[in-house]
Amino acid sequence: MSTTEPSVSAPKVEGDLKYVQYHGSKEEIFLPSIRQLISKDLSEPYSIYVYRYFLYQWGDLCYMALDSQNKLIGVVVCKLEPHRSGTFRGYIAMLAVQESYRGQGIATKLVCKAIETMAARDADEIVLETEVTNTASLKLYERLGFIRSKRLHRYYLNGNAAFRLLLYLKEGVALKRPGDGVDMGMGMQPRIEEYRGFGPTSSQEETTATSESVT
Amino acid sequence: MEPRIVDITEKFTAACKGLDIGQLVKDEYFTLFESIGAVEIMDPQMDSGFLQPGETLEDDYDPLTPILPEELIGIMDQLLCYEMAWHTGSPLSQTLFTSIHIDRLLWPEPKTLEEAQFYRGKIEDDRRPGVLLEVLRAYCLALVKGCDFVIAKITSRDYFEEEDFCTNTYNRVLFVQIPPDVFQRELDAAIELIEESAEIDESLRDAIITRLNFRKSLLTALDIEMPLDMNFPLDLDRPYSLLSSTWSPVADSLPHIITTHELAKPVTDAFSTKVQRRLASTVPPRPIVQFEFTKALEALKLLCVDCQEATRFLQIPHDPIEYLSFLWAFASRDPTPLTYSRSYLGAIMFSSDIIQAPGALPFEDLRSFVFTENSAILDPSLRALSPPLNPRLPKPPGLQLVEILDTFVDRAIPPYFDLWVALGQNKCRLRRMLTHVIHAWDALQRDAEAADAKLKIVCEAMGIGHELMENPLTTWVYIKKLWMIEKVILLGFEQEIHHPDEYAGMYFFLAQIASKRGMALIECLHLLHGTQSSYPKPPSRPPPSIPPQSDLSTQDPPPSESTAPTSEPTEPPAAEPISPPFTTEDFPLLKIQPYPTSSSTTTPSQSSNGQTPTPQTTYLLTLLCRATATCALASALHTFYATLRRIDLLPNPHHALGTPQSRQEARMKPFLTLTPEEVPRDIHRGCLLRPWGPYDERSDVFGDEFDVNSPLWDTFDAYMEVGRRSWGEVKQAGAQGGKAKGSEIAWKKEIDDLYVTFEVLRRGLERLRAASSIREPRCAPGDSMDLEVDWKRGGHTDGRENEGWLVARVGRVFFVEADGTRHLANNVMVWDGECFVEGDLGWMNL
Repeated sequence: MSTTEPSVSAPKVEGDLKYVQYHGSKEEIFLPSIRQLISKDLSEPYSIYVYRYFLYQWGDLCYMALDSQNKLIGVVVCKLEPHRSGTFRGYIAMLAVQESYRGQGIATKLVCKAIETMAARDADEIVLETEVTNTASLKLYERLGFIRSKRLHRYYLNGNAAFRLLLYLKEGVALKRPGDGVDMGMGMQPRIEEYRGFGPTSSQEETTATSESVT
Repeated sequence: MEPRIVDITEKFTAACKGLDIGQLVKDEYFTLFESIGAVEIMDPQMDSGFLQPGETLEDDYDPLTPILPEELIGIMDQLLCYEMAWHTGSPLSQTLFTSIHIDRLLWPEPKTLEEAQFYRGKIEDDRRPGVLLEVLRAYCLALVKGCDFVIAKITSRDYFEEEDFCTNTYNRVLFVQIPPDVFQRELDAAIELIEESAEIDESLRDAIITRLNFRKSLLTALDIEMPLDMNFPLDLDRPYSLLSSTWSPVADSLPHIITTHELAKPVTDAFSTKVQRRLASTVPPRPIVQFEFTKALEALKLLCVDCQEATRFLQIPHDPIEYLSFLWAFASRDPTPLTYSRSYLGAIMFSSDIIQAPGALPFEDLRSFVFTENSAILDPSLRALSPPLNPRLPKPPGLQLVEILDTFVDRAIPPYFDLWVALGQNKCRLRRMLTHVIHAWDALQRDAEAADAKLKIVCEAMGIGHELMENPLTTWVYIKKLWMIEKVILLGFEQEIHHPDEYAGMYFFLAQIASKRGMALIECLHLLHGTQSSYPKPPSRPPPSIPPQSDLSTQDPPPSESTAPTSEPTEPPAAEPISPPFTTEDFPLLKIQPYPTSSSTTTPSQSSNGQTPTPQTTYLLTLLCRATATCALASALHTFYATLRRIDLLPNPHHALGTPQSRQEARMKPFLTLTPEEVPRDIHRGCLLRPWGPYDERSDVFGDEFDVNSPLWDTFDAYMEVGRRSWGEVKQAGAQGGKAKGSEIAWKKEIDDLYVTFEVLRRGLERLRAASSIREPRCAPGDSMDLEVDWKRGGHTDGRENEGWLVARVGRVFFVEADGTRHLANNVMVWDGECFVEGDLGWMNL
């Protein structure tokens, strides 16, 4: 990745960054900058409820790249839930990296961390959409192993088409049928998000956040 | 009852204090969709009631403001731009409904057309609209009625809201109840008013009248009540009562609108985003869609041309195959038809004129494949048989035969027309819908198998078993199903679904499917020709047309199996020997010659016994040649891309996530459950073993294989020869022979395009071969090849697609421009120890 994209203007190198899992208790600190970073690439803004829809239910699938001053450099936002096709489907909803930091593999790292967490939670597949003209994004995901499964006509508000990208994390996913997903195997139910209050957080929020993922 | 108002502010504020920041109170029905539709109060981009300092809620523009003639033209042309923006997918709220004039006509909702004015109620005489505003009113009324017709037409067919078209009218009623002739009269009156207005400059008057006449003809063309040509008594009250003649008056008026557009003076104040605040909408106001006049006129012209073309559906031969050819050609039109045009064709193709009895077309389609013209099986007199009076007695076999066929045809009707519906969709949907239609046909194939078994018993009981081919119904369903699979693969290439490292595998898969279809068609041809025929024989007795594998395998022993990756322990290929290089084993069809090698063979255009072949024979032979050409070209491309990967000219990525198996599974998902199994189990690596052997173990065998004397080149030559000759036969049979008479122009273009594809591939292979001739022997793969791959779609230099035949251009880089443009050599030659390359600028000495 670093060879193809310009990184001349990058004020900091990737090595200075830390990758942190989001937690609901950090909304006040991070949500404004997450919104700002994501909105830059959007023609029309998402309301705060779109962010909360994801972060409240799947905060642990959101990873942030922070610099040494805890400034947000990149973010990935996902969800993971049973899909009507019968699979347990992860979905990468948003991904953004500050322009001056692009080309250093930060987005790839964020995506890999999120996918790792989803795989650990027994996800069958990961999907996302990206604009057909967004070659940087296509390259990123296709290098990881995603394939283009569909072309979606006029998917975006600006009338542009999208590719649906797809990655199977297991074998046999294609043969799953509706109803297969109800029992996740080993008696595990798909996670039903239940609010238990963010409460005061310990100093290692980013690690404790995962503990509430499965009951 | 008195409305009761309860102030909940305090309770609400108190409740909010009990929540953490970021906590979401929601039920399970609050989905992503709802969260996206939610707005934030006091956010200027979301809150439609938010006013910037000094901003007014309503517009200041008074639609009764007198306008100049050039301003009238300006507003009319602007409305036309918005109308076409709507046709190309934008919502009314961001296009036509931003017009304050139209808003005033439609709201408050008028009870009569008389009430639909730029004002409501009484008005002082000096404020009454003048002639030009009256003319604008008539224009707007007809425009709005036209929108009503468009929505009615589109919603009557399958379409996807917002993806294809936005039908939302935000609770505005577009004169649904008022018949079109009322609007025609308003336009006629407006034309009269203008004609009498001597004070208006003649050129301006002329331009205005042109626009009014255009609106008249467009409203006529859009009329949903417009009857089809067939069985229709000429109605003298309707000037263009014949469907096929409704679009040319619209198209004819466009050049004059274009030339007089320079007279237009825009009135930007007459349009505003603020109108959206009063529309029943779930989304905040969005900016007005800017659609240029030239773009709008192009879209309008396209609409006319495509709708005109759609009316031809009524005139083409009444034959299900002809219809299918037409529908495919229409779906493949470039530029792609607008949603309205597709719905327009949909309304025609599903009209009672075309589908007289739902089973008639599927039955005729079936018959043309698997029953002979005068087959005793289809004897109409069997239908006259009556069941025995005693219901406990068995029915006569003839009657049973009729019932088996009728039941099957009834069963085939839904999947049969699902295909037609899919062909009316946008191309992205077409590909995805086809994968679903394939499954419907797969289920039909199970029923066909059961019906075939019954058919056999009954026919034998009747002593007409010899007229019945083996499993006719199953064969017909299978041929159709395979054809759809081929189309899905080709559409995948066309829509850039496949990644370069998948090309070899997907073309291999395509070649296999086409081969299977060809083999099934051969079964059908056997029935037609009985024993006396000399048309292709089944694969058990193949006349060799490709270098037989035994010759090749002696020259190039297959790489040792022990080197193959054994990541899948359960996979059978681990135990079975790998096919030798350059085998045609994968594509049995290519072992058969579907075209004449001597005068005694049957071709689509000439029969074995010298008689003119029946249209049925010609059609089936043409189909067979098409399948063969598809198979040969796909095989050649498979080998081409496998070779390019082999020498590292195509990426051979190592993916961090997933496995080759899981990637293959994701790619093949639409086809995995089909019966019989269509997806080769080891395709993800198997196709790459051919012709090169295990991929990761290439280095030591590579040098010899990729050589100017390699048998690889003979294989390519053979594939290309089979492909070109088969395609030549398709061309020879003509559009009529291929049952594409009704879409002959598209048919001709397809023929030409595929020849171009063959030619581009031939040149690519030549370059590859030339490069191999001057390469140092036994060097590391790719290293000194100095080749590069440049993508050209289907041989079109302008990048247009040719139905999914993707040929990479290969050449030596011989010149790099300052801006980084790399020029590839078309040809390389070594002469007197010096190397020459032929580029786009001619031969050069390196």
